[in-house]
Amino acid sequence: MLEYDILIVGAGGAGLYAALWASQNPKLKVGVMSKVYPVRSHTGAAEGGINAALGNVAPDSPEKHAFDTVKGSDYLADQDAVELMTQMGPQIIYDIEHRGVPFSRLPDGRIAQRPFGGASFPRTCYAADRTGLVILHTLFDQALRQGVEFLNEWFLLNLVHDGERVLGVTAWDIRNGGVHFVKAKAVILATGGHARMYWNRTSNALGNTGDGSAAALRAGIPLKDMEFVQFHPTGLRKTGILITEGARGEGGYLINKDGERFMKRYAPEKMELAPRDIVARAIEREILEGRGCGPEGDYICLDLRHLGEEKLMERLPQTVEHARVYEGVDPVKEPIPIRPTAHYSMGGIDTDKYGRTEIKGLYAAGETACISVHGANRLGGNSLLDILVFGKLAAEDAAEYVVGVEHAATDGAEFVRREEEFIKSLTEKEPRENLGQMRRELGEVMASKVGIFREEKPMLEALEAIRELKERAKSGLAVVDRSRRFNLNLVQTLEFLNLLDLAEVTTLCAVERKESRGAHYRLDYPQRDDENYLKHSLVRRKEDGTLEHGWKEVVITKWQPQERKY
Amino acid sequence: MAEKAVLRIYRYNPEVDQNPFYREYEVPLDEVQTLLDALFFVQERLDPTLSFRFFCRAAVCGSCAVKVNGVSRLACKTRFRDLVEASGGRPITVEPLNFLKPVKDLVVDHDAAFENLKTLKTWCEPKEPIPEREYRIPPEEVKKYERPTNCILCFACYGNCEAVMDDPKYAGPFAFSRVYRYAVDSRVKDEHKREMVKNALEAGDVWSCVQCQKCIYVCPKGVRPAEDIQNVRGIAAEMGFRDYPGVRKLQHFVDWVYATGQINRLALPEEVYGVDPTPLINKFREKGAEVWEVPKPLPGLLEFRDLILEVMKEKKPHLDIDFHHVRRIDKRVEEVFKADVCTRITEKFEEQKSDFFSRFWKKLGEFFGAS
Ligand SMILES: Cc1cc2nc3c(=O)[nH]c(=O)nc-3n(C[C@H](O)[C@H](O)[C@H](O)COP(=O)(O)OP(=O)(O)OC[C@H]3O[C@@H](n4cnc5c(N)ncnc54)[C@H](O)[C@@H]3O)c2cc1C
Ligand code: SF4
Ligand code: SF4
Ligand code: FES
Repeated sequence: MLEYDILIVGAGGAGLYAALWASQNPKLKVGVMSKVYPVRSHTGAAEGGINAALGNVAPDSPEKHAFDTVKGSDYLADQDAVELMTQMGPQIIYDIEHRGVPFSRLPDGRIAQRPFGGASFPRTCYAADRTGLVILHTLFDQALRQGVEFLNEWFLLNLVHDGERVLGVTAWDIRNGGVHFVKAKAVILATGGHARMYWNRTSNALGNTGDGSAAALRAGIPLKDMEFVQFHPTGLRKTGILITEGARGEGGYLINKDGERFMKRYAPEKMELAPRDIVARAIEREILEGRGCGPEGDYICLDLRHLGEEKLMERLPQTVEHARVYEGVDPVKEPIPIRPTAHYSMGGIDTDKYGRTEIKGLYAAGETACISVHGANRLGGNSLLDILVFGKLAAEDAAEYVVGVEHAATDGAEFVRREEEFIKSLTEKEPRENLGQMRRELGEVMASKVGIFREEKPMLEALEAIRELKERAKSGLAVVDRSRRFNLNLVQTLEFLNLLDLAEVTTLCAVERKESRGAHYRLDYPQRDDENYLKHSLVRRKEDGTLEHGWKEVVITKWQPQERKY
Repeated sequence: MAEKAVLRIYRYNPEVDQNPFYREYEVPLDEVQTLLDALFFVQERLDPTLSFRFFCRAAVCGSCAVKVNGVSRLACKTRFRDLVEASGGRPITVEPLNFLKPVKDLVVDHDAAFENLKTLKTWCEPKEPIPEREYRIPPEEVKKYERPTNCILCFACYGNCEAVMDDPKYAGPFAFSRVYRYAVDSRVKDEHKREMVKNALEAGDVWSCVQCQKCIYVCPKGVRPAEDIQNVRGIAAEMGFRDYPGVRKLQHFVDWVYATGQINRLALPEEVYGVDPTPLINKFREKGAEVWEVPKPLPGLLEFRDLILEVMKEKKPHLDIDFHHVRRIDKRVEEVFKADVCTRITEKFEEQKSDFFSRFWKKLGEFFGAS
């Protein structure tokens, strides 16, 4: 049986950085489990950059960064956590710079910074438009340097705890097939976001299915602020693949069918660089009101032509490539067809600012966690900072915690048997449903009813539809591939079941929050309502499988809620 | 009828199949954009038992490299229609990458490739003292590793590499791009750079690369491993790592070609591997074959030598000509050919020299306005 002092589940930015810090202490046995090889993780897709108040381009301070973050969050972020993050920002950037991240530079050799949505000025450090890629790969190289032990292509199934402390996890070995109990004194979940519940309308990787959050939910641990899903304004029309905000940062225009830069009607000062939720709603509004482009009027154009080929190739090479391959459009010559795409999960596992959950030894960090530093809306460039800061803090806390803690006495056979039975039930079921079909159905329901504009009635319909999908899955969604080795069909089915659970929670929270705040916009309650809803929502699954919805106070230190204007 | 194309996919599940086999599937063109979409179409609608890797579906995670009609490609970056057009109605064959053990269907075991990075130690060990803020790095330096840091470790290059085919120890194109990337990074400790380069030479066999350039051709991210490999070899030479068969072989090539216009097959084993050539020479003689101890230099070689020097002055080479060696070769040539060839060469050289001087005086005269 595998045993670790600290088991980290997930090898994106949060998981790898946590691993680097956890294995600082050579006495601790640290393992990293990931369903894909570390460098495949979605952190590698982040393009635009990472925020920190270095003040390399204009005078800046962690305090200003914190204020922008709190304001951007529509005052739902916990201000103590935000202050902690922004204060640690510069040190974190210097640390990964010392480890080799190839940031773009100013002529004097310091790290370059550029403006990004919602920031008062240039604060975003970047490496052309592949910031996440170089961070992920640098961290991976460092993990090899530190001899971090990996369990690659292992799929987290469930958390095991005794109601008080964590004992380990159960997992499926994808490569060889087979369930294992992995014993651990501490477990850090760093499994990333769940925007795949919008299936074809998301910028997320195909595997961003919130497995860690779903496992936490099943283990009775509350999820927080799940109604908040950020839509990125600029996804490619056909695939949802992201066109980075950097494209607007560099001066790109958003144009409707009349060639109008319509943002002047929504955010006259910040224009295209207003926060994402505002831009995404503006685009959706233009489309709904008949000012969309194309024969169906179902998209808006991102015009980069005036930047010129040279600048485009130097500053936004990936954007150019994506437009060419996935949309068949050359941004040097034509505007890019775009529409908003589900991009970031603000909600996740309820933790404090050290990543702790209510179960001792169980931590969450990165996009799967909700601390919350992003509140109702995340600022571009803040997530990469979040995953590193809180990955580190969770690792350090866990490293302290495990000293003096004994491994659980169990051999885990009982947990393994249960999982094997469950998997057997999936393969032995009569197949009556098609996974691809069901996934598309879920995505359509979520995008059309729990998307950018929300309203009570459609959301209740969505809840109904999701519950129906769950029933159908239970009775007729079978795993047709019987092989144990690299059974893709099994993994995808497990992922889909996780998405269903999380979609239900998301919709429930969205129904309960009868106000508009940040990314959560209700047509029937268009105002923010601090009186009743300046609160985090919490959902816990009870033993009998029903969901219990509640609220939790927001931490306010310095900044009283004001109206959010840009 | 919707347009359709046939995918011929490699299938193999070692749990149950004795041998790999191929199965054909029809995919409608207008339902898919990329080859990855086509694989999904097969898996979702036609055969859920098909296994392959994917994650980002946007050419950034490196999961989905497969072999398509013999060439490594990222499935998610390959437009299906382009493939269909290029294959002119014939089925499109999709197989796992070469040189990596099969796991199931299109999935390969690439642990060995990842392990090579660990063996070569391609990472940053920061130079002391570590600054309080960032290291100062001029933008021009960042440019040097811009291309290598585009690498997504998809191993497409590995699967089409000639050197990997011949030398299982060869670490792979991607690995040397990483070595280069850290070797030109001013943040990395000099001792660590040395170690990495040494590893590239010894554990990684960087000299096995035959410069076929296939890695450049197949790389989906514009990394140019073959160039990085040349640079790593250059850096190795600059660091003084010359006593390697690969370096000696190249030195042999450079010196002999410089001296005589050809390599010397008889001297090669000795100069490269220290093997005494006498038994071989005797064997040839026994069989009555003509033995050329040194090749006859070609007439006109001297001008060519000058040209080489010119070129080498301009483009800093990875290897200098070893003039002691060349002088020795020249002497052998004189001995063996009783100096007649060399005399001619020497004559030519003298001629050219006087020609050069007369031109020089003429130029000087022009400059001072005389004549
Ligand atoms: C296209 C795109 C662009 C972005 N650009 C930016 C940007 O410019 N700036 C910014 O700040 N943020 C950006 N973001 C957001 C940011 O990239 C993510 O929030 C962040 O990378 C998440 O990191 P993570 O470590 O939490 O998770 P991930 O990087 O998603 O890693 C999750 C890990 O968990 C593992 N895992 C998941 N489920 C399981 C399971 N069941 N069993 C085992 N392992 C599992 C995965 O294998 C993976 O290793 C962007 C996001 C997208 C989608
Ligand atoms: S150039 Fe060298 S590394 Fe590249 S494919 Fe050919 S042999 Fe391999
Ligand atoms: S060099 Fe190119 S082909 Fe090779 S692994 Fe890197 S990205 Fe892939
Ligand atoms: S799926 Fe990520 S590179 Fe193709």
